[in-house]
Amino acid sequence: MIIPLARKILIHDWRRFLPAMFAVALSGVLLLMQTALVFGILGATAVYMRESNAQVWVGYPGTQTIELGRPIPVTAQTALLADPGVARVEPFAWFNGDWQGPPRAGGVSVFVSGVSTEPNALMFSRVLTPAQRALLDQPFTILVDRAELAKLGLPIGGRALLNGRLVKLVGVASGISAFGGVNVVASLATARALDGSSGGAEVEYYVAELKHGANAAAVAARVNREARGYSAWTAASFARNAVLYWMFQTAAGVSAIFLAAVVFVVGAVITSQTLMGAITGSINEYATLHALGVGLRPLRRVVLEQSAWIGACGLVIGVVISLGLLGLAQAQGVPADINLAVWLMCAALVMGIALVSGTAAVRVLRKADPASLLR
Amino acid sequence: MSALLASNLYKSYASGKLRIDVLRGLSIAVEAGRLTLIEGPSGCGKSTLLSILSGLQRPDAGSVTALGQDLWRGDNDAVDRFRLQHTGFVFQGFNLFSALSALEQVMLPLGYMGMTRAEAIDRSQAALVEVGLGDRIDSRPAELSGGEKQRVAIARALAKRPQLLFADEPTSALDAASGQVVIDILRRVAHEHDTTVLCVSHDPRLVSHADRVLGMEDGVILNDRKMQSVSGPEKDGNVS
Repeated sequence: MIIPLARKILIHDWRRFLPAMFAVALSGVLLLMQTALVFGILGATAVYMRESNAQVWVGYPGTQTIELGRPIPVTAQTALLADPGVARVEPFAWFNGDWQGPPRAGGVSVFVSGVSTEPNALMFSRVLTPAQRALLDQPFTILVDRAELAKLGLPIGGRALLNGRLVKLVGVASGISAFGGVNVVASLATARALDGSSGGAEVEYYVAELKHGANAAAVAARVNREARGYSAWTAASFARNAVLYWMFQTAAGVSAIFLAAVVFVVGAVITSQTLMGAITGSINEYATLHALGVGLRPLRRVVLEQSAWIGACGLVIGVVISLGLLGLAQAQGVPADINLAVWLMCAALVMGIALVSGTAAVRVLRKADPASLLR
Repeated sequence: MSALLASNLYKSYASGKLRIDVLRGLSIAVEAGRLTLIEGPSGCGKSTLLSILSGLQRPDAGSVTALGQDLWRGDNDAVDRFRLQHTGFVFQGFNLFSALSALEQVMLPLGYMGMTRAEAIDRSQAALVEVGLGDRIDSRPAELSGGEKQRVAIARALAKRPQLLFADEPTSALDAASGQVVIDILRRVAHEHDTTVLCVSHDPRLVSHADRVLGMEDGVILNDRKMQSVSGPEKDGNVS
């Protein structure tokens, strides 16, 4: 097109289109922030995978999230070790505990993690120092996240009853808080002693570190081929499953989708109204073009191109606002988790809002009847 | 041969429960190279006639032969194409995009005709020079007077080099001087480019400069006057 009419009008009448651009931008920001917050909150369910150095996890078949683990046969460990891609394997015990702390703290739901106390152990390798692990070598000692101290009502060095046994809080770490309860980290030996239900030798999970260059998905697939009574996943897919499980088990996922739909509709309505207003304002000009023989199809393209530009400008504004808000969330310690897929999904929705609006606004062009210009 | 030939045109509108017959079996022939004017009281059907002859509105019955083609035989797309290739329009309102300069206004339809940018610029500049706006090609509508806007609108129509030029009350929104300029341009276009110029107006200045004046009332043509003006040889018009 030798005269870029859509862009010329947008630039000349930018004030008229600005509300639509902001409607699109803020729709995008709302979509992105709520997704980031939902993932941020539910991301705590994947703390075990995220903060550990293991690339492959083995657990009870069909386990969706760590809380649903069941004891698995020790043959799982042998099978992992037999795989050519596996460098080393570590048991990981996990169970629900019955916590009786100081009376004023009330009831607290407690999850017990039994981890190796070796200095280079895999579980929680990103958050526990070798010194902290060494503290757990003492029988019936535990660590919790710093943020949970108030919830437990227990100072470091304090004691409480866990599954009827007296345990001692020997330290705190950062980054091991759980979703919907308090994570208590103990040594494997302590965990076995505390867990009344298990026969002793069996644990809920084995985690594996791979040899350099080995592919986690390939290792998991090989292990699964011979697996009896257990199943292998990559750490990434197990973490993803956990987040998705909680997203749809709780109302979080449904409400996020519902809110997204509301945001989409509101954004599209505002944007299409702005576009319709802009077309109506130039309806005689469009009708004149139509009189001069320009078909309705090329005129529709002008409107759709305008909506695409509104989407693109809204996207830029939205990205700037979102980055600011994510920075603010991070500074305030608000859990917000975002990845490229979420950015792309929100960008696609934003462009969708703009194009749906354009398609809706195109109807106004039907009023561009050149015969109406004759009086 | 007539550039425009209409026979037995009928058109009526619904107004509430009433049907108003605007055109009642009207026939007309319009020659090329002339400025033909249709005048009549408001509501006599002259604008409806113009819209049917120019391919903007389909008649209920009757036919229009424009440049040897049966105008209303094809679908709307075919009529759009005919208008794109052969017709220019000048309306009472100037209908210019406020975002575009005079040159861009004139170039815009040419782009849709498939012209290259260079060709469109040449033609548009020539058209603007022809209407006396060669020095205003970069001006936006907000910087132009009413008369200048109407001249841009005429240039937009002329740059297409149409064989048929339709004008609806082109001078009614203009002061005397601007109106005279527009009238002179329309006459010149008819005589120098051999364009069929069909104009609807009740501006007496236009009446005195037309080659032929058709008086219309109640959906029929009452009289047909060939004007003895400076316009050149007289030709016969067929009226029924």
